[in-house]
This record gives sequence, C-alpha cells and structure tokens, in this order.
Amino acid sequence: MDSKHIEQLLEKYWNCDTSLEEEQHLREYFRGDVPESMNEVAEVFRYFDKQQKQQVNSPDFDAVVKKKIRQHRPEGKLVKMFYSYGRIAAGLLVVVAATYFVRQEVRKAYPPEIADTYSDPKLALEETKKALMMISKGFNKAHREASKIKAFNEAEVKIQGKTLEESEENEKKI
Amino acid sequence: MNLETFENRVLPTKNKLFRFAFRLLGSSEEAKDIVQEVLIKVWNGREQMAEVQNMEAWCMRITKNLSLDRLRSRQRRATDPIEEGMEIRNETLTPHERTEIHENMQRLNEMIAALPEKQRQVIHLRDIEGYSYNEICEILELDMNQVKVNLFRARTAVREKFVKINAYGL
Repeated sequence: MDSKHIEQLLEKYWNCDTSLEEEQHLREYFRGDVPESMNEVAEVFRYFDKQQKQQVNSPDFDAVVKKKIRQHRPEGKLVKMFYSYGRIAAGLLVVVAATYFVRQEVRKAYPPEIADTYSDPKLALEETKKALMMISKGFNKAHREASKIKAFNEAEVKIQGKTLEESEENEKKI
Repeated sequence: MNLETFENRVLPTKNKLFRFAFRLLGSSEEAKDIVQEVLIKVWNGREQMAEVQNMEAWCMRITKNLSLDRLRSRQRRATDPIEEGMEIRNETLTPHERTEIHENMQRLNEMIAALPEKQRQVIHLRDIEGYSYNEICEILELDMNQVKVNLFRARTAVREKFVKINAYGL
C-alpha cells in the first residue's frame, strides 16, 4: 500500500471526513510495519486497537448476572396481584376482628336483664304477690289522698253559686 | 425477551459496556458494577424494550447515564476524584501488563482521560469501538453537529499533544 494514499487518508482522518471503512483500513495498515515518520501515528492507532480488546476481568461475571436475574424473576404480575389483594384482605380482617371484640365488651358491660332469681316457683309467687301488694297499697294511699281534692272542687262550685247537681250535670254534658 | 435472547443479544455486549463505563469512571470495579446494573435494568425492563431497534446502542446509552450518575454522586461525596482515578488506573493492570504496555500507551491513556467529558465519550465510541455517527448520536443523545465537533476537537488534541510533540520533539 503506498504511503501517499495513507497520508491522504490520514489528513482526511484528522479532519473527521473518513468513513468507518477508511478508519478500519488505517487501523489495519498501522498494525504492520510503517515508515519511521509515521511511528507516532501508528502508536495512536495501535492504542485504539488494543483498547478495544479490553474485557471484563472477572470470569464469574455472567454467572453473577444470571443469578441476579433469576432472583428478580418471582416479582411478576401474579405476585403483585396477590400482594394488593392481600392488603385489602388484611384491612377487612382488622375491621371484622375489631367489631367482634367491641361487641364482646358491650355484652360484658350490659349483662342480659332477664334472669331467674328464684329457683322455687312457690317462693317466687309469694314474692311477686308481696311486691304487687306493696304497689296496690301505695296506690290506695295515693287514692285516699287524691279524694281530698274533691273538697276543693265542691268549694269552687259553692263560690260560683252553682249547685252540686248542676255542676254534675255539666260534667255529664261535657 | 426471554432468557435465551438476553444471553445471546444483550449479555455479549458486556465488554463494550465495560470499556465505555471504564473510560468514564476510570475504575474497573465501578465499571463492572455499572455493567451489572445496566444488564439487570435491561432485563427488568424487557417488556418496554421490545420496540427498541438497536439493543446495543440502547445498552450503551443506559451505561452512559448510569456512569454519569455515579460520577456525580462520587463528586457529591467529595472524595478526591482525581487521585482515586489515577490510582485505580494503575491498579487494574497486572504487573505483567504494566511492563508490557508501552510508555506511549500509558501517555495516550492519560491524555484521553484528561479530555473534556463529551470529547472523551465521542473519541472512545468512534475510534475505539467503531460506531457510526448515527449510533453515537443515539447513544450520547446529541445531534450530529455536536458529535462531529467533539470528535474533531478530541482528534486535534491527540494530534497536537501526542503526534506532533513526539514527532518533532517540541
């Protein structure tokens, strides 16, 4: 390959007008022996060449990446779906449990009112009668006291100059 | 995308991704981390990536973004970034490689590392990886003009700092 052509190519190269093929051409040319005047340029192209051969210097790199990828796998759509439904279910569970416990507390605080206090029916009847008598005695007493109010009524009638009969008639009319 | 296509189409780009991340971060450990992150990201987002045409360019783009994020958070942590970068550059080479690599290679490495970020990205993608201008636009999210300007500046810097000085001893 004549050096004239190479020099032209080089000039194009420094001006960034070379195509990829032409640059590859230069690289290949400088791999071999070159005239002394071009030693420095050759050094540059050999440097580029050498740099391109650099590799990841760890033999287990692929294995590590593949392992990490596999670890990542389970996080698919299904898992995400279960996760979100799981959250809803957990929320519901909390509400249900809370309601249950609150109800229990309420029951404890207000025990049922209807409960048997006597085991013997006769005794119970006696007690009931006693209680009813006490109430009716109270009623009678109140009734006696209330009948005194009648006196006031009669007095009122006399003051208004009406006979008791009249007022009674009036009451009947009403 | 199933595991098989991932292994056949995405995983083999790991070395390119690694070189690019390494060029941006200057640390092979961090670059490796980033590549892993990129690959897992691609796998997790595989459903949205069904319509991506150039898978490789897409991966490169993610690599670029994650690397720049990493750089930024590194600066925020306010560790000494320059020292760290320099130190690691030597550390990644085995003693054998170190003696093997020509002094000039080392100098070129440092020179490109010293270029502004965009220029460094563009010259890496074009001259080392051999991407077309269109692909570079896609990876770096730049327009054609910006790509060409940055490439021109980067190549000129290499020419002036390395080729001419070495050739004429200036």
